[in-house]
Amino acid sequence: MLRRRDTFRGLVAAAAAPGLSSLAGPALPQGTAARTLRVVPQANLTSLDPVWTTAVVTRNHAYLVYDQICAVDSANTPRPQMAEGWDIANDGREWTFTLRSGLRFHDNEPVRSADCVASLKRWMVRDVFGQALAAQVDELSALDDRRFRFRLKKPFPFLALAIGKSQNPCFIMPERLASTDPFQQVRDATGSGPFRFLPGEWNPGQRAIWEKFNGYQPRQENPDGLAGGRMPRMDRVEWTIISDPATAASAMVNNEQDYWEYPLHDLLPLLRRSRDLVVEQRLLEGTYGVLRFNHLQPPFNNLAVRRAVAMAVDQRDYLRAVAGEDPKGWGVCEGVFTCGTSLASEQEDGILRTRSIEKARAALRESGYANEKVVLITPSDYPQINALSLVTADLMTRIGLNVEVVTADWGTVVQRRASREPVEKGGWSVVHTTSSGSDLGVPTTHLFLRANGPNAWFGWPQDDGIEALRAQWLDAADKAESKRIGAALNERAMEALPYIPLGFYWQPSAWRRNVTGVFRAPATVFWNIAKG
Amino acid sequence: MFAYALRRIVATIPVMAVVALFVFSLLYISPGDPAAVIAGDQATPEDVERIRASLGLDRPYLVRFGEWVWHIAQGDLGTSIFTNLPVSTMIAQRIEPTLSLMVITLILAVGIAVPMGVIAAWKQGTWIDRSVMGFAVLGFSVPVFVVGYLLAYVFALELDWLPVQGYTPFSRGIWPWFQNLILPAVALGGVYIALIARITRATMLEVLQQDYIRTARAKGVGQRGILFLHALKNAAVPIVTVIGIGVALLIGGAVVTESVFAIPGLGRLTVDAILRRDYPVIQGVILLFSFTYVLVNLVIDLLYTLFDPRIRY
Repeated sequence: MLRRRDTFRGLVAAAAAPGLSSLAGPALPQGTAARTLRVVPQANLTSLDPVWTTAVVTRNHAYLVYDQICAVDSANTPRPQMAEGWDIANDGREWTFTLRSGLRFHDNEPVRSADCVASLKRWMVRDVFGQALAAQVDELSALDDRRFRFRLKKPFPFLALAIGKSQNPCFIMPERLASTDPFQQVRDATGSGPFRFLPGEWNPGQRAIWEKFNGYQPRQENPDGLAGGRMPRMDRVEWTIISDPATAASAMVNNEQDYWEYPLHDLLPLLRRSRDLVVEQRLLEGTYGVLRFNHLQPPFNNLAVRRAVAMAVDQRDYLRAVAGEDPKGWGVCEGVFTCGTSLASEQEDGILRTRSIEKARAALRESGYANEKVVLITPSDYPQINALSLVTADLMTRIGLNVEVVTADWGTVVQRRASREPVEKGGWSVVHTTSSGSDLGVPTTHLFLRANGPNAWFGWPQDDGIEALRAQWLDAADKAESKRIGAALNERAMEALPYIPLGFYWQPSAWRRNVTGVFRAPATVFWNIAKG
Repeated sequence: MFAYALRRIVATIPVMAVVALFVFSLLYISPGDPAAVIAGDQATPEDVERIRASLGLDRPYLVRFGEWVWHIAQGDLGTSIFTNLPVSTMIAQRIEPTLSLMVITLILAVGIAVPMGVIAAWKQGTWIDRSVMGFAVLGFSVPVFVVGYLLAYVFALELDWLPVQGYTPFSRGIWPWFQNLILPAVALGGVYIALIARITRATMLEVLQQDYIRTARAKGVGQRGILFLHALKNAAVPIVTVIGIGVALLIGGAVVTESVFAIPGLGRLTVDAILRRDYPVIQGVILLFSFTYVLVNLVIDLLYTLFDPRIRY
């Protein structure tokens, strides 16, 4: 079959070769272009409210526009950002934050603690970690314009991490906006961050533009992860939505764009051939693959069947399918927590080390599987998730499961995966997704480790052991105990198999060689970046 | 004719009503949930339900349809679920690139295809005829995106004459505007040129066999006069019909072309809205496309009277 990506790959390859690409002039006038960072974002920016939607592209917009009370550094340790600092008193039951002086919103109104309180309250309704925090909050109130206080029912040592985490953190909006119902979208993107959104220039599906906020007061520190100084070094950041990866590659080679957030893995070798481009890993964490069973319906309501599938899984097959043959582009991680983080642990004799189709087939025969139909739903418009799904379909077929692959677009998949019905009535058996490693580092934000039945993430596993360990982890007295509970959780998860981890792949970014100041962070941010 | 045109315009109302009912119903029964897309991976089913309720998507079919029709009747196409922008604003933002692309493609296609078809008919059976027909087969067979990529490779990456992607509004100058549209128009025009060239050739061959052409020749009318004054005018009705029908082809082709060349037009707006299940946007754009198509057909019908005086309404 003739595919668009394949067609253009050869053409771009030739053009990207040194000496062959004579560069077209930039679309913008020379002076403006030098002060504008032209970015191809990973998706179309359709909504501006990072509480209303958890879309990554909206979060990246939020990092430009909003500031945070605290933010995590490259070691995932929360550090003050808008806050001057915080005091913890009353055995960890009282946290008092003090804001830096002189902070202003883009409408020139001063940032007050009342704005922070309203933003925190709105965020806590929607975010998973926020909800865990909210459950422990007795009172959250502004003490004066620069100070606000949490009074807690019991100590919550992860408070700063919760509000300053990298994925869907609490961004601070003016109180007038933050008092909006969390289930209603805020339309006004007034923040106090390093860049100001230009709503008049916004054409969803074409472009979104931010300009430097001259009233921003960055911390006088070097950037470190998302912490430190957020120095806006460009006058404008301009996102152009290019949905076709091959066209985006050409635009990069042809000097029509400066930065491409998520180049397709297939196109990386071609981009690397251009001497004008840098292709590097920018995100600190990899992207983790997840195979999720529907625990409510046969055959995966049967633990023995789930275990048979796990025995056949070889993460390397999945990762090659997504990110190619180069092992530097991916990593095996056979535990439930992000590899390289404090809770990470892998079992030497764990079920994921079996990696045997033969043993899996034998286990399936013993499991009581009665040839029930397995419906695997996969989104054709998400290449990575689709690749993971197709590997699973092949693996399941080879071990003897009766698999039907249902391919649809993402919009259909997310609706169908919410169905708890049997497959004959529009339900499903297996679904895949991906998650940032930043979300899988601790139990509180680890969606796939919830095993509270109907309230768990799609697939609805029920396992009291996992739930009990999650609760214990929140009360852990010290790091050693936290790590011990983490290991126990990993062990229990590998027994109950609420999901199967599929390892991680790196998602590099590409930028032109004259772009300077690019640093590694847990999210794509554009402060500190300039053009030489 | 004015009365006829008026009658036809009034007749579009029931047509649009049927289209509206069809589009709304189709979207209602088709799978997909914008609330689930908005909520994202972290959301619980309860979150999704609350978002759905806040968007009014949990209300019965008739209530939603009635409300939508009531707003349409007042000229309000609704508000995008995702961007919160009025659909009319989003269409207004996107209509210029699509219109520009279609007009340039149309001019290019008619300007090339009609002479090609006429010459092919005149030189029937020669290498010229075969070359034109070969080109027509190619135009039909090679997908728009392949032509687009090839053009971008040669004229943008290799020769550095034209940009790879993007769109510059007309207000920023004719050349910057035109520069961005040359490659997309050529890519999109391929199928259209093939279609018009073939129909022109076929119709011209038929007309050239007519007695009055022989008479004109006998009277000493030159070849150019025969082809372009006598034959082409009489062959125009089917050609104009095909040009009109081809507008639908252009609308479909614009979706792919706009993606390949990153042109922010209505085609991409439609695809993006479908993928996100942004119902008000999908409904608004399809209504617009349908209305355009009905209008184009009306114009074609009226044009018949210019080419064939025997046709009277």
